[in-house]
Amino acid sequence: MNHLPDAGPRPGVRRVWRIDMALVTRAEGRMYLTPLVGFLLLFLGFPAIVNLIYSVSTVTFETLRSPVLSGFGNYVAVLNDREFWSSAWFSLRFGILTASAECLIGLFLAIFLAPLLSKRPVLMAPLMLPLMVAPAMVGLMYRLVLHEFAGPIPHYLFEWFGDSPAFLDINNAFRTLVVVETLQWTPFAFLLFYMAYSAIPLDVREASSLDGASPFEIVRWIDLPLMKPTLVIAFFIRFIDGFRVFDNVYALTGSGAGGSTTSLSIYVYQAFFKEGAIGKAVAASVVLFVASFIVLHGLNRLAGRGKL
Amino acid sequence: MKLSRTSFALMATLLAGTALPTFANATVTVLGWPGGSEETALRATVETYNKQASDADKVELLFFNREGFYDKLQADMAAGSSAFDVNLVATYSLGRYAPYMEPVDLGADAAKVFGESVLKTMQFDGKQYGVPTDLSLHFMYYRRDLIDALMKDDAAKKTYGEIAQKYLGKPLQPKDPDSWTWDDWAATALYFTKQVNPDSPVRYGTVLQMKNLLFNMMVFQSLPRSYGGDWMDKDGNVTVDSDAYKTGLELYKKLYDAGSSPKDSLSYEYAETNAAFASGQAATALQWNAAAADLTSTEKSPAVAEATGIVAPPAGPDGRADHIHGLGLGLNKNAKNKEGAVKFLKWLATEDAALLYARSGGSPALSPDVVAKVAKERPDLVKLGEFASKYGYVMTGATSAGALPVYELQAKEFTGYWSGQQSLEDAFAHTKAGMQDLLKK
Repeated sequence: MNHLPDAGPRPGVRRVWRIDMALVTRAEGRMYLTPLVGFLLLFLGFPAIVNLIYSVSTVTFETLRSPVLSGFGNYVAVLNDREFWSSAWFSLRFGILTASAECLIGLFLAIFLAPLLSKRPVLMAPLMLPLMVAPAMVGLMYRLVLHEFAGPIPHYLFEWFGDSPAFLDINNAFRTLVVVETLQWTPFAFLLFYMAYSAIPLDVREASSLDGASPFEIVRWIDLPLMKPTLVIAFFIRFIDGFRVFDNVYALTGSGAGGSTTSLSIYVYQAFFKEGAIGKAVAASVVLFVASFIVLHGLNRLAGRGKL
Repeated sequence: MKLSRTSFALMATLLAGTALPTFANATVTVLGWPGGSEETALRATVETYNKQASDADKVELLFFNREGFYDKLQADMAAGSSAFDVNLVATYSLGRYAPYMEPVDLGADAAKVFGESVLKTMQFDGKQYGVPTDLSLHFMYYRRDLIDALMKDDAAKKTYGEIAQKYLGKPLQPKDPDSWTWDDWAATALYFTKQVNPDSPVRYGTVLQMKNLLFNMMVFQSLPRSYGGDWMDKDGNVTVDSDAYKTGLELYKKLYDAGSSPKDSLSYEYAETNAAFASGQAATALQWNAAAADLTSTEKSPAVAEATGIVAPPAGPDGRADHIHGLGLGLNKNAKNKEGAVKFLKWLATEDAALLYARSGGSPALSPDVVAKVAKERPDLVKLGEFASKYGYVMTGATSAGALPVYELQAKEFTGYWSGQQSLEDAFAHTKAGMQDLLKK
């Protein structure tokens, strides 16, 4: 598909753009798109429809293939469930805190380490390593690292201070989980920020420097505004990942004492598998889907208006 | 970046390689219980079986994580999976999986090897659904050296009495662990707690498994049971809010709050408890019998192996109680190789296979004649049989299809109480309402 201008602007006439479809006809285009649309319908559309049906049905593992329609009772049950709201609150808090921490530390590291990394790019590799570990393995690893009798951290704390805090008790579990998530995913934010920072033309910085701007002013008035789109995108990607957290939390604390570390994903998992309340679990996931859709649509509109 | 022809070809080969199906040599796939002595024993037993089996009957093992094991198994089986021919079953989930399994005839000799009562742990609706590989119950592990020293020291006995009076309101004296009541155990745990008694030679008096996990509820259950606790009465009314459960739950909380168990106990399960006891910093631990091999091995637990004593769980007013729970292997209805699978299961039920499994670290409950043959290497198996027959129990309603969700529910609500997030009354109200719903189905 080519975007070709007309033979140049004439005085008093607005430039007219014409879409040239000479290479591919409309029918051919549709034909080429058919496999993709078919794939999407099959692998996204079908489960979505099954989900919608299950969410308004009475269904168990034994009756997976023959659900009985039963109205909106599952939605009422979910919205009246105090655990649904407490897990939504956990996920929201977790998502915002981890995304903020990862972006702030990632930004600091990107700007602070940029001179070093431009000379020694090989240092990027060890900084990226945490991203290579599966989140569930990270959870298991910290279960060992923080164990009072087997882990190195409590061992040295006992050795040096004669005591070690309970990292996973009811008061500290949330903080520990936030730190574990932040340690693993800060490199992701750092990588994006470093790339955005490196892409800022040097002459802009040099010009501002010649005009007498201090390094802090350059960061504040030149670098950060130019990196803004990346900052926003990184924050939202990290927020979405934090909000839907499952693996490392589940491996480290399970759903927590009295369900205190139940994220929304863990809530859906437990309703589905542990309680066998398939309708309720699917209804919760539909509520989550609608909420996510509204947020993402809102963001999209903001981005469209050039506010991001 | 420019790719040379060679590196391009290598990358293409790598990509193509990831898309190719893998080739399996074995034709009978067995899904076992992962991550414990059961896995070690099954691996060793299967190795021997494969040496004698024909190529078509060779067994390949499949393990995934313990976390959510039964849920994944249920999803797989409900979907009609044929990824495994033989799968794990447990007494408490037999009702849930039986619709997706086929009964198997183990032959008359199986009863001679295991005994009728043990075979029954794998029966549903009168049909045999599996070979009972392991019987799980709980032992009270304790440090013989510490208790012996306490019994010989008059000053220590006096302190013990004072601590018992202060925390439990009873003038208790140290006793031999085999005659402990739960109060004696609690007093001993408090005495050996640094936070309570700065002179304690170890940091903690006990290790409580308090993670929000259904298996931890099985461990806890024997305490209220020995006070007469049950899930339901004869008429089918849920009785979880009884004085027996109240006593048990309060005792756990009292010990946890007093610092008798590690601070992170609310995230402890089997492995953490083993690590804590094996470190030599805990005086007692109510733990699964499967841990006996590790905790008495000088190689695996050098700090405590020589001094680890084993008795049945302490007594309550109704005597002693020990929660029994059988694991076994049975036949998947959608198995691809049923013939090979049945051959393997029948072999597993023979005396030779059961003894091999026992010698490799498994915990089969064997009939007295058979267990005598491994008594020297596995004295804990003799105890296993003895405790199961004397103190073994199953809660009323605990073999129904809703049993596992009941344990899940209790785990969530009881840990909520222990961690101070809700009152005992609220925990009881939520548990009772949930159990009424689950056990009604």
